[in-house]
Amino acid sequence: MIVADRKPLDEIVNMLKPYENVLVLGCGACVSVCLSGGEKQARELAMQLNLRASNEGPGFHADFDCITRQCDREFTENLEKDPANFDAVLSIACGVGVGFMSELYPETPVLPGLNTTFYGANTAPGTWEEYCHGCGDCVLAWTGGICPIARCSKSLINGTCGGTHDGKCEVRDDLDCAWYMIYERLKQLGRLDEYRKMREPRDWGENRSGGPRRLTHEEVMELEEEVSNV
Amino acid sequence: MRDREVNSQDIGPEGFTGGLLEKEWAPCRHGCPVHADVRTYIEHAASGDLAGAIDVIREQLPFAAVCGRICHHPCEDNCRREEVDEPVAIREVKRFVAETQGAQGASLHPIGAPSGKKVAIIGAGPSGMSAALELAKYGHSPVVFDRDSVAGGIPATTIPAYRLPPDSVRMDVEWICAHGVELRLGVDIGNDVTIEHLLVSEGFDSVLIAAGLSFSRKLPIAGADHHRAYPVLDYLQTVKKGKRPDIGDDVVVIGAGDVAMDAARTSVRLGAENVKILCLENEEEIPAYEWELREAREEGVEVIQRRGPVRIKTDSKNAIIGLEARKVTRVFDEAGNFSPQYDDSDVVEVSADTVIFAIGQAPDPGYAAGSALEVDERGRISWNPDTCQTDIENIFACGEIVTPPGSVVEACESGKTAAKAIDSFLSGTKIDLGKEFPREIESLPERNAENIISRDRMPVPTLSPEKRKCSFSSFQSTYVPDVAVSEARRCMSCGGGAEVLIDKCSACLTCLRVCPFDAPVVTDVAEIASEGCQACGICEAECPSNAIVMKRYDRDCLKVKTKQAIDAGSDVVAYIGGFRASAAEWRGECGDELPGMAEIYLTATASVGVSDLLYAFEIGAKGVLVIPCSSGNDRYPMVAARTGRRVAQARKLLAESGIDASALLMAEAADEGRSAVVSILKDFMNNNSFQK
Ligand code: SF4
Ligand code: SF4
Ligand code: SF4
Repeated sequence: MIVADRKPLDEIVNMLKPYENVLVLGCGACVSVCLSGGEKQARELAMQLNLRASNEGPGFHADFDCITRQCDREFTENLEKDPANFDAVLSIACGVGVGFMSELYPETPVLPGLNTTFYGANTAPGTWEEYCHGCGDCVLAWTGGICPIARCSKSLINGTCGGTHDGKCEVRDDLDCAWYMIYERLKQLGRLDEYRKMREPRDWGENRSGGPRRLTHEEVMELEEEVSNV
Repeated sequence: MRDREVNSQDIGPEGFTGGLLEKEWAPCRHGCPVHADVRTYIEHAASGDLAGAIDVIREQLPFAAVCGRICHHPCEDNCRREEVDEPVAIREVKRFVAETQGAQGASLHPIGAPSGKKVAIIGAGPSGMSAALELAKYGHSPVVFDRDSVAGGIPATTIPAYRLPPDSVRMDVEWICAHGVELRLGVDIGNDVTIEHLLVSEGFDSVLIAAGLSFSRKLPIAGADHHRAYPVLDYLQTVKKGKRPDIGDDVVVIGAGDVAMDAARTSVRLGAENVKILCLENEEEIPAYEWELREAREEGVEVIQRRGPVRIKTDSKNAIIGLEARKVTRVFDEAGNFSPQYDDSDVVEVSADTVIFAIGQAPDPGYAAGSALEVDERGRISWNPDTCQTDIENIFACGEIVTPPGSVVEACESGKTAAKAIDSFLSGTKIDLGKEFPREIESLPERNAENIISRDRMPVPTLSPEKRKCSFSSFQSTYVPDVAVSEARRCMSCGGGAEVLIDKCSACLTCLRVCPFDAPVVTDVAEIASEGCQACGICEAECPSNAIVMKRYDRDCLKVKTKQAIDAGSDVVAYIGGFRASAAEWRGECGDELPGMAEIYLTATASVGVSDLLYAFEIGAKGVLVIPCSSGNDRYPMVAARTGRRVAQARKLLAESGIDASALLMAEAADEGRSAVVSILKDFMNNNSFQK
């Protein structure tokens, strides 16, 4: 899922300076799961902002709401508060939600309350780690399920580099070396033959460098209305 | 919190969803006094499965053929199709099913282990016979006594043949008796044998009085005892026996209930030139069903309202020459109780040579003679509705002798309830007749109704008043098969539609986006209310999480049918939208079926998912054809387009798997008739050389 992290409050307060009446909008999907952007966090953030404002003088007020997902248009029907009635919306969805809400409410500024960080998994209660980069051309088949694009600091596809030491990455001591892990995992699977293969340079066109990406499933795209016989 | 939360455990083993159907009932079923499972039997009929349909009907309703003719059909009055166009003609479909199947064409119910207990039932009418059937099913030995020589009660002896021919009654009685119900006809209890004798000497453990109302009441007015002033039951019974009562050309029927209508319309058929109904009520107050009154008028019956009879006038030769009637100023008091008031200064004379009293019936308490039962001056016995018992604990009563006058189906219900009470009594358990019913599905929200395709109710072939006036044979014939199935297909399958398994739903919104009726609502999970769902199955086939089950069919039923077809030697499977297909096509009885080709008929191909299409190939099909009706001509909107998308998707997946995509084709032709379908099937077989 998408993992995101709350921006520092000072940054948010700064961002909201021009506005008096703000809606903090949570999202019930990934950011609820990683405890950064759920309804509860939306409420807490609105309270924080109101508290801060009461110290700094009257005028400002923050309210909150939350929908199941900010990345599907239909759920906005479940909004209890109408964004149009606010000077600004502070979305605490991932960047997708912020962008999509901006599109749906062109008259209202929609501002990000989170930094969207990575696609990750919950590795221990309260901890999320990056597992995938969304590169568009998955290599996990020959890396023992460990993503070198996301987890190797240099996104190498032929590792390790010379910076590996005792299973750690030269970039930071608390980082595992992804290629060391890949090696260990392939050994365990009896597939070191994969490790020995030299990989061709990647086509990064499937990644962001090919421009914004799009997925279509024709089988569920909207149908033309048909005229009913009586 | 949602009303109904269902999760994947609730669907039980093998994807069985039947239990979910009992969480809510369609209003047709609620309205039916015996709660027959209307939706299910109508659906069977819609697919040409009449044997299945009659079994579902008879599951709850022993008098299926009789009710198919004369039921006052509260099911139809409740039918939600009314909110789109007109109610489904449930009764007519039932009549078609019951009469086509006959007594032999219905399965018998299982009979419980013999209890060794004998129950005597007095009266072989609908309530007594229904009780007898239930008692037989419980394992007791019911013996039904009736003083008449035919079984069936009022429907057999009294209701005119143009409404209810004797065959219909015989069908039901024969089927009931096949369960081991013994009939002793021509025995007048209280006269030939007493209840006491039955209990003491004949070893019956219990007696059920179901004697009905067999006395017609007369008014204590001058001339009421004239030989041409008939009590209505005697009159109708004479005619039903094939005899002609002595009547003149000027018949006045007093009363305006349904029995009065029967008497008036019978008189018309006997050739009386002027037939009048004289009643206290005005147009709005007339108690007869609207259609009875209308049909009587069509046959030339004149209705004189707001007049009360004072005396029957006779001439010097004691022939009736008229009826004096005074003005009625009111029939009911403010509280709605019957309390007529008259204006004696306004009296008219209505010409008449024959008078029939049809002002209500009363019990004949003759059965009680020689027993310890106490009968009041109105012929009534005391009765506890909570236990169906009389003052004497092993003597029970049911039907109109203790309940307000009602129709056949209400009598059946009363009989069944009494049987349950007797069974508890005989097995020494406390009698508990408390009933609780599932929630009733409410009315159709407007936004869901918008896309429902309107379809006219099929008319019942009815003889013109001129023709039917001269004959006692049925004036309305049953549907022909194609019309019956078309009418059944108007049913909206209320309550048979989608159910969301909330533990599986991922709130992806797909159901909401594909539903042609805007039924799903997705908040944190999807919710699909039976109020709006039309049971098309589109969402079930599209839900990525398998979080939707259909209540009226099991998730895997199409796969099971496909497997059966392949195992039976077919190479090619055709999934055909059956909305326009005949019963014979559904049943594979056209005689032009192709060897090696299995035709599987569906309510609509909307329920065929990509996984169903792949499955056929996975288990060995060499080819698959999908044949919806052409666009706009199917049961639901968008079926062809939706099916087309799925076929395209499945072809893509097949091609990727190395299977020639031309082995899967779609043709929009299921509405073009059998020959068009057959030629498509043939072409497909030939082009792909699937033949063995
Ligand atoms: S449409 Fe069908 S299921 Fe619904 S109320 Fe009418 S008969 Fe019953
Ligand atoms: S399609 Fe299935 S998973 Fe998606 S919202 Fe509907 S029920 Fe839930
Ligand atoms: S079964 Fe059909 S009508 Fe019912 S919710 Fe699903 S798509 Fe809509």
